[in-house]
Amino acid sequence: MAKRIAVVVSQGQSASPAKRQLEEEIVGGLLMEPGIDLVLIPHLYDLKADGTGVLALRGIMGNMIVLSWLYERGARWTLDRAGICGREGLTTIKPVEDDEDEEADEAAAEADEKQRVGASRDLPNRKIYCLDLRVHPAAQPYLDEVKRIARENAMQLVSLDSGLGGFGGLAGLSGLGGQPRPEQLARYVQPTNDTALPLAGVLAPAAVMRIDEEPGRRWYPVIDYSRCTNCMECIDFCLFGVYGVDKVETILVEQPDNCRKGCPACSRVCPENAIIFPQHKTPTIAGAAMVAESLKIDLSKLFGAPETGESAEQAAIRERDEQLLLAGRQTVGAQVGLPKRHEPQAAGAKDELDSLIDALDNF
Amino acid sequence: MPAPDPPLVFLMGNFEAEFPIDRRYAKNHMWGQFVAGVWRFGFAAYAVRLLQDVYFLDWSVEAGASLAERQELGSIESKKAESSLYAPIGGRLVRFNDQLLSDPSAINLDKYAAGWIFEIDGSGESLLSPQGYLEHLAAVWEVTQRTIKGQMNE
Repeated sequence: MAKRIAVVVSQGQSASPAKRQLEEEIVGGLLMEPGIDLVLIPHLYDLKADGTGVLALRGIMGNMIVLSWLYERGARWTLDRAGICGREGLTTIKPVEDDEDEEADEAAAEADEKQRVGASRDLPNRKIYCLDLRVHPAAQPYLDEVKRIARENAMQLVSLDSGLGGFGGLAGLSGLGGQPRPEQLARYVQPTNDTALPLAGVLAPAAVMRIDEEPGRRWYPVIDYSRCTNCMECIDFCLFGVYGVDKVETILVEQPDNCRKGCPACSRVCPENAIIFPQHKTPTIAGAAMVAESLKIDLSKLFGAPETGESAEQAAIRERDEQLLLAGRQTVGAQVGLPKRHEPQAAGAKDELDSLIDALDNF
Repeated sequence: MPAPDPPLVFLMGNFEAEFPIDRRYAKNHMWGQFVAGVWRFGFAAYAVRLLQDVYFLDWSVEAGASLAERQELGSIESKKAESSLYAPIGGRLVRFNDQLLSDPSAINLDKYAAGWIFEIDGSGESLLSPQGYLEHLAAVWEVTQRTIKGQMNE
């Protein structure tokens, strides 16, 4: 049976007419396309943790294409944080300079023997394709790419329970293990207004679901588990209780809304550059594969940008201290959370346990 | 009621940027007006002319935050530019004009009133008089043009 695919269009926060028009042209261009179901959501990153937008996306069980005003990595790991997981679908929508970077990535990957968290994660057997709407100014490349992926998708053999048809094999059931919880089943059998979804035949043109959630602006980190080595530097550095560990001691963004608006300090201290703040103005922190120059003029100097010459670590320490002050707490400077980068404590500070560990090391 | 005093005018090429004289100005091209015990700020005509249509504002600090002068507090995207934004004076950030988050067009339509951007409880001592600001503009205008042209050519 041919399989439908869900296409999620995440609307930007900006009122730029060019951006709005691009979104509309993409939606318009896919409306009559057989085998495609459209889900229109507000800005992906701002969706509330358990809002209708996230619930709708979790309900999509099959392959999905997500178009958003975020870097590919930013979008992928934002979805992952929201419990919308899958394998990486490869897209041809790339910034032009990206080719060289991929070669560099591959070279680095060959030399890399580090254990990444991603290698041990059990992901659902479906693909998520993240397309960055900032790469092309026109809709056509996106329409072509969505159709290409949809064709590829339709030819794949399906092991998921996609018998329901409609919404990319959407079964109204979420959960990483694939096993529906009873309340999810109940919601599917007797949908509420929030969860009712149209079910369309396989060859019918697009069903459209529009999520009208009105989220406020959010700010929190997401972890790229293909880079993360579980070194715990972020949980040591952050003093606001954002990070935690799961049952198998894997780092996770446990309390995203504890994060301090505008502060990217943990991302700066991450040795693997695995922490993404998708809304940060620095491309590498926002998830760019490489640093792309903006096409617009940067007026920051005009509006009073100070000249800084500080290192990433100095910036992180400063940013954390600023946030501690804002929260009415004491600053800590470089004294907390940078254990591996600083001189060991004076010898006198060692206690019995330290000596024992040293002895073990020597042994 | 007497007619309001005419604004001062600075020529940006052929464009006449107007600056009302009922307020003060910061060197980072914001106007400041003392309203109900706090300083209310917005973009002056000079900044709006360079930005043109504003599409998006975002804040990297929360209301209530204590700011140092020139501390970064957010970013802006417009038709012609994107930029970080910085505090024109030090003090406590009392509130943002939240209306602008969903619709920033007031910055273009009514920059000296409804398009106000935020309010800071602090000392306005460092702010310039309208006349002083115009002198500052005359001094930086050449540099501004070079900044813009330089980046255009990159």
